[in-house]
Amino acid sequence: MTTTSSVGQATPPSTRHTASADSPPVGSPPLRQTRDKVDPTFYWMLIPVLALFAFFITLPALVGVFFSLTNYAGYGDWKFIGLTNYVNIFKDPAVLQSYLFTFFFALTTTVVVNVVSLAIALGLNAKIKWRTGIRTVFFIPMVLSALIVSFVFNYLFSNTLPVLAERFGLTPLASSILANENLAWIAIVLVTVWQAAPGATIIYLAGLQSVPSEVYEAADLDGAGSWRQFTHLTLPLILGYLVINVILGFKGFLGTYEIIVGLTGGGPGMATQSVAMRIFSGFTGGDYSYQMANAVIYFLITLLISVIQLRLIQRRGVSL
Amino acid sequence: MTAVLPSRRLLLKAAGISCTAALLPLSACATSSPAQQKGVTQLRFMQNKPEVVAYFNQVIKDFEALNPDIHVVQDFNEGNFVPSLVRNDPPDVVTRGFAQATADFTRKGVFADLSDLPSAATIDPKVQALVNSWGQYKGETSAIPFSLAGAGVIYNRDIFAQNGVAVPTTWDEFLAACEIFGAAGITPIYGTFKDTWTLQQGAFDYVTGGTVDVEDFFARLYAEGADIREDAPESFSSNFGPALPKILQLTAFTQTGASSKNYADGNAAFGRGQAAMYLQGPWALSELVKANKNIQLGTFPLPATNNPADTKARVNVDMALSITRNTPNRAAAERFVNYLLEPSVVNTFNEKNAAFSPLMNAPAVGNPQISGLAAYVAEGRYYQGAGTYFPPSVPLGNYIQSFVYNRNAGQFLRDLDAEWRRVAERTAV
Repeated sequence: MTTTSSVGQATPPSTRHTASADSPPVGSPPLRQTRDKVDPTFYWMLIPVLALFAFFITLPALVGVFFSLTNYAGYGDWKFIGLTNYVNIFKDPAVLQSYLFTFFFALTTTVVVNVVSLAIALGLNAKIKWRTGIRTVFFIPMVLSALIVSFVFNYLFSNTLPVLAERFGLTPLASSILANENLAWIAIVLVTVWQAAPGATIIYLAGLQSVPSEVYEAADLDGAGSWRQFTHLTLPLILGYLVINVILGFKGFLGTYEIIVGLTGGGPGMATQSVAMRIFSGFTGGDYSYQMANAVIYFLITLLISVIQLRLIQRRGVSL
Repeated sequence: MTAVLPSRRLLLKAAGISCTAALLPLSACATSSPAQQKGVTQLRFMQNKPEVVAYFNQVIKDFEALNPDIHVVQDFNEGNFVPSLVRNDPPDVVTRGFAQATADFTRKGVFADLSDLPSAATIDPKVQALVNSWGQYKGETSAIPFSLAGAGVIYNRDIFAQNGVAVPTTWDEFLAACEIFGAAGITPIYGTFKDTWTLQQGAFDYVTGGTVDVEDFFARLYAEGADIREDAPESFSSNFGPALPKILQLTAFTQTGASSKNYADGNAAFGRGQAAMYLQGPWALSELVKANKNIQLGTFPLPATNNPADTKARVNVDMALSITRNTPNRAAAERFVNYLLEPSVVNTFNEKNAAFSPLMNAPAVGNPQISGLAAYVAEGRYYQGAGTYFPPSVPLGNYIQSFVYNRNAGQFLRDLDAEWRRVAERTAV
């Protein structure tokens, strides 16, 4: 009994395997069953999940959209103010700056993560010594909480690194880069890449393992060097995995929050405020409805990006 | 083979039903209420200082012994307050630090009127005025002060004595003291710029509080509403300009690498005697003693001008007692508040926590750590920090940090004016 599909449930084992390939046997019950009547069990499995999703995700989101049209502070009296919050968002340089920073950060990090993790995956896929052990080491960052990782790095950047730099006479590095408005983003990108690369590496490894070795043997016979093999064979063959990594990564980095909180708290000054941090500040700052409007705008932007990305994926023939 | 199929379907069905069943307790717990003993009123008391839980546990025990018909439950997670308001189930008695953030609750009528309580008459009117200055709801008394924290420059008495430096009374004397420490190889002021709030409550609040009439400034600014322009007489640009160079003079006397130190680093370092002065409030004192139990500490208000008569201490109402308006246990809550404001309770608390009692007949402060502020507090020569007047949606600490790093005063003032105008615009509609 190995079947997992409902279609073949009542079909005798002898006909089950041929049913999909040949024309269905006359008067076979399974097809009529799928066309006319779906086993109610599947609805019973879906409804609780749907109810939970609607109650805990959809409903709060709609409440948030509703309050974005008011001047509600999170408590007390409120009244409708139409689209005023939305208009004010576009006039607020602090919010606009957080959008610029977030997109800049997401783009940079996506590029760096994919370059780094592809390089790691290529290395881990080669016939190296202790391959399993080294792979395990490379995946450790994935199981650590981002907040803890960023607090540890915060300590390293603020205390350990300046002390080391001073000892070796590297004066420009003697003050923490977290305290430098122009450099703090580098630390954030670095820690994010450290944390996100293993996940991308796993996907690339899966991709690399799916490339048959005969392809490389043929390329070797034709005299292609390793760089040509990489650009003309490996890369096109794992393009689907690259697309998935870029899309998932970019989407995730747009919502960046805890690593920034742990490293800089949005500072120094206002240099590293992400959109998610701005939105969350509305809960504590009595700015609830204003930041709800911000959240709605951000939702629409990410929705638009997702739709464009899905179109691109479909054109490439990759499915998530 | 086919005999297996029904049982599988049954299994799926069972899984579906158990999923739905898992939802039921969620809706059930919303309606259940804690079982109450007959005749005993349960009060929920939310206080805002997790470090004094033990003291209030003792106070509650004593209170319950005198009032067996009341049971008080202490909650020290202030973060629950707004959610409890949203759920319309706030605690009965609340303590809060009084500043702009709390003023909004007052103005929206969240708290009951306490002006008729007998204990309200025992409070120093100057301290009550500090609470009321944040706005009142229909002229009511929404909160009664419980603890007044006085903040200034914490100094290491031993380092001062070893270098023959007396407590400065003018700005020039203060700078001269910093020079002496610097020449002796001692860090004059320990800076913790990584935590933006320490810059805000220290250098920013102390210098502006000593040079600008903060209360009057913000009263005029709030009255102006959203129509504030940079060149208006009420703007930050027109009032805070002279104070800003002094903030930079002050922060220049901190150790190198102050920008990568936080509050905890500062407490440890100052406790070990790595600097002569530390711009922190009384909340840091116990941490400093924890780092070094032999440290001899004192506090003086920062003299921000060369006229000693201008010098004032920074105070904040660290805890004020309120009763929420819709509580069903009003009488019991009033009895509890009156008990908390009995001299033995309120004075002991403030003595233990290096704070000032708000009572009219409070005993003189003997604690050498804060005695340098006592005369200023007794005479009412104090201000509430400029930073506390900002709505919480203005990231003031980040702006101050930017200013200290980039030393661009014009940009800082323009940012403050613009940010203030935007917040006023969207909260006034």
